[in-house]
Amino acid sequence: MSDEAPRRSKDQVIDELHNVAAEMHDRMQKGSPPRMTLPVRSKSNISFDNRLGVFKYGKSKTIRDATSLGSARQLLRTLHITEFIEEMIDSGKSSTLREMYYISEGWGHGKFGSQNESNNLAEDLEIVTKCLREDFKLRPEEDGARIIGNITLEERNRRGEWMRINCRDDVGDSGYGVPYNVESEKLKLVDEDIDFVMAIETGGMFDRLVENGFDEESRCALIHLKGQPARSTRRIMKRMSDEWKKPIVVFADCDPWSFRIFASIAYGAIKTAHISEYLATKEASYLGITADDILAYDLPSDDLTKQDVNALTAELSDPRFSTGWWQEQIGLMQEIGKKAEQQSLAKYGLDFVTDTYLPEKLASMGITY
Amino acid sequence: MSEAEEISRKQKQVSISEFFEKNKHFLGFDTLQRSIITAVKESVDNSLDACEEARILPDIRVEIQRTQNDELKLITQDNGPGIPRDAIENVFGKFLLGSRFHAIRQTRGQQGIGITGVVMYSQLTTGSKTNVVSKIKKDSSAVIVELGIDTKKNKAIKTGERREAWIDGLTSEEVVQGLRIETVMKAKYQRGKKSVYQYLRMTSIVNPHATISLVVSDKNGDVIEQGKWIRTTNKLPRVVREIRPHPKGVHLGTLQRLLRDAEERRMTSFLQKNFSSVPPSASKRILGAAQIEESRTPKRIRAEESQQLVKAFQTVPLRDPPTDCLSPIEDLLIKKGLSKAIDSRFASTVTRKPRATQGNPFQIEVGLVFGGDLQTDGPIEILRFANRVPLMYQQGGCLLTKALESVNWKSYGLDQPGGNGIPKGPAAILIHLASTNVQFTSEAKEAVSYDEEVFDEIRKAMLEVGRGLKNHLKKSSQRKKAKEKFELVNIILPEISKKSSELLDREEPDLSPVITQIMNAVFLEEELYWDKKERLAMCCITVHNYTARARAYTILAKWPEGPDTSMSFNPTGGRKEAGGLWAWRLDTLNPGSSTVLEFGISGLSKGDWNETDVFFRGNGEIIGATKMDEKLLDEQRKTEALEAAMEEVRIREEASGVGNLISDSEEGSKTSLDRSEESLPTTGSEWFGLAGDNQ
Repeated sequence: MSDEAPRRSKDQVIDELHNVAAEMHDRMQKGSPPRMTLPVRSKSNISFDNRLGVFKYGKSKTIRDATSLGSARQLLRTLHITEFIEEMIDSGKSSTLREMYYISEGWGHGKFGSQNESNNLAEDLEIVTKCLREDFKLRPEEDGARIIGNITLEERNRRGEWMRINCRDDVGDSGYGVPYNVESEKLKLVDEDIDFVMAIETGGMFDRLVENGFDEESRCALIHLKGQPARSTRRIMKRMSDEWKKPIVVFADCDPWSFRIFASIAYGAIKTAHISEYLATKEASYLGITADDILAYDLPSDDLTKQDVNALTAELSDPRFSTGWWQEQIGLMQEIGKKAEQQSLAKYGLDFVTDTYLPEKLASMGITY
Repeated sequence: MSEAEEISRKQKQVSISEFFEKNKHFLGFDTLQRSIITAVKESVDNSLDACEEARILPDIRVEIQRTQNDELKLITQDNGPGIPRDAIENVFGKFLLGSRFHAIRQTRGQQGIGITGVVMYSQLTTGSKTNVVSKIKKDSSAVIVELGIDTKKNKAIKTGERREAWIDGLTSEEVVQGLRIETVMKAKYQRGKKSVYQYLRMTSIVNPHATISLVVSDKNGDVIEQGKWIRTTNKLPRVVREIRPHPKGVHLGTLQRLLRDAEERRMTSFLQKNFSSVPPSASKRILGAAQIEESRTPKRIRAEESQQLVKAFQTVPLRDPPTDCLSPIEDLLIKKGLSKAIDSRFASTVTRKPRATQGNPFQIEVGLVFGGDLQTDGPIEILRFANRVPLMYQQGGCLLTKALESVNWKSYGLDQPGGNGIPKGPAAILIHLASTNVQFTSEAKEAVSYDEEVFDEIRKAMLEVGRGLKNHLKKSSQRKKAKEKFELVNIILPEISKKSSELLDREEPDLSPVITQIMNAVFLEEELYWDKKERLAMCCITVHNYTARARAYTILAKWPEGPDTSMSFNPTGGRKEAGGLWAWRLDTLNPGSSTVLEFGISGLSKGDWNETDVFFRGNGEIIGATKMDEKLLDEQRKTEALEAAMEEVRIREEASGVGNLISDSEEGSKTSLDRSEESLPTTGSEWFGLAGDNQ
């Protein structure tokens, strides 16, 4: 597997997009309703790819054809997006997904009903054309993660110059902000002096570890995920793992949503299963907080809500959580009916997390310092 | 003196004001908020009754003004016949006396204690007199008088009587005829569901021939609430005939009084003359069953014999009482009345045929409105009426509500949590019970008491309007689907074609085979509109064939056929298929083509005809039309033929003057006809092609 996401030339991208339009046109010429063929994008159609070690879309296909008004509108929008992308490629511009959403106001019957719709359609196009949205000159709004730790990167700034940044010495308390494009034409991983990378779900815990100097003490890079991590966050973690061969550990709350955050990092997200091999870090491991920890450390906890219970039940049938360890953890959580936040560790004082909890957990994973 | 007589003597000595005080919750004066509603009700009901009797289109004005804390001045004025000078005392002083016994017919007045109660309440709570201005047409001036009640003698006291020209304060014109009542009472004005406003709004719905206005002002004269409901029809409720009581509805006491006062010399003629539906043959059978000789003198009938007679009344089969003593509002007028007060998208109404329960004729009418401005969450609004009088209290304990709750509304498209109870959704349901004898659960006369036959009739009426609603919803959803398909093939598909061709730099494909494949159906759209110039209610039906094969159809449409309407514009010809159903044979429709069918009805006003049903004969489905159910059509034709035959018999009987002397055999055949009618849908609305929906 290559380290680099395969990038396509402008002409290749346009050719791929034209194939989508051609499928529609060909069908109409034969007297049939135009259509577009897509993989089914749900947990029922993802499976583990043994060769890649991540979860990818399976063989189930769905046909979007112009026999209902909704689908016909989707096809028309797809054609408008195609035209828009072609124009951007020709003029060397790019736009955010949100900008495209607003631009669609001028597309008459092809305009989007919501931002979500335009995001999904852009992903559909990626999947069908096997291009990346970067190829389409489309940028996300979502903000990337921040990093603190003794690693050195080079980023090409907007003047086109390469800037060298050490993520411990050259940044403030908020750390280095990960840009939306972290491919090699934009970002180089230059140097590191760390033993592992720790990804943290919540800002509160990230700041606690920074304040306690955990990155230096334990020789690690800290990454704040900001909830469900953006594509660029997952991609940069994948590159760190591949290029620096450093262990990646994920430190999150103990609730069903945090489990999904981990799954998207380690196994691949359902929505982006077409590019799991570029985004998912199969070497990543879950540090905590686990359901066991709630009991072992007697952590303050909250009752599971109805939504939590439903989410857990759904996870039991999610192929990404089919391993024994996850089934056990989810089962235990259902049994005790509790969830806990990372910051519940403060029960034992502000330093407990860095002095006791993390060293113990890391040691159990074979990481000592 | 017997014990009973002693008690009754004592009761008479109880002062009338004490009686009033004790029973004010029955009389509608139990709370300050309710007192004003009751006062308005008594006064407006009187006005409506008087106008109806005098065949005058009522104009009724109600003014309420707060004079001080917990005190209101009420002024009501009508354009009715007025009350002759000598009758004023009687009308306003007759307290707690029932209406004349023999007069059995539907009136509003039977429900209240009458206007006297208002005069009494005013006097008791504020010590003031009620000012009455009455003008009858033939007098040159109006009578003005102050009225009070002598509570010991139970009669009105007149003071300050004078005659003057009556100039209307609003129009500054002299009033030709009418009645104006001004009274002050302890009361509070309240807005909302139980208010004078709501009472008048409901009254206006069931009295579409009346114009009613309301102005409520506070102490400073600032208007705090007002409403005006203008008449939507000039058609007065039909004149109702007074009928004699039906034996099945007569109680022992009444019978004994009738016997005592009887002038007839033989029991047979007594029964025939004092009761309805008692021909000679029936009177003989009744007397036979009661074991009373036909030649006995009514005055000499003993108590235990009269008891036997009452029993015989129940056991001997008798014809139902005549029903022309009832005054239904009628379908179209209910629709108009509802539209006057509620803005909605759809109305389904039904007037059931009159029926009788325990010798009392009654008739059920139901109207359902849906959509528009009606609120979508929360229970539907229930508008209950008995003899055109709104019932505003005790909704839960009322038969009308219970019958409504017993219907499974979910299957008609209304949300009904738990599968029973009051449904939810943007709807309002009107229920009108017209009867010569409405049975209430209590003297408060706000809730109708249980009666199986009335309950069943209401349920049947509900199911009919329910089917109407279901049909409407089905049609709306079909229409929505068809609209989407049209948008798809007429707008989106051509754009997909254009855009993809542009992107690929190719020729645009021919879309007609694509359209056929996407639609693969025949679509029908109907549109009803008003042709102002020709004064025609128009219907335009368009049929599109989006299939790959040529199609041939007969299209059938319902239209409001009646004595006053006719199909005056109909270039396509066709023929009458049944009552209110016209059929047109269409030319062969080729793939991808469409055809238009148009016709216009005269004799209607704008807005009278808002919805029709379209049916078809032919192969395959038509989206937007229902396949004709030939079996039901046959049945309807048979019913119509039967009705026509009956009508002929009736006319012949009338002509030969034997109408009221129906022989036993004729009577029998009439009953069997009645039954066969009942087994069929009676209004002819909403039933074609809906065999599966019949409950």
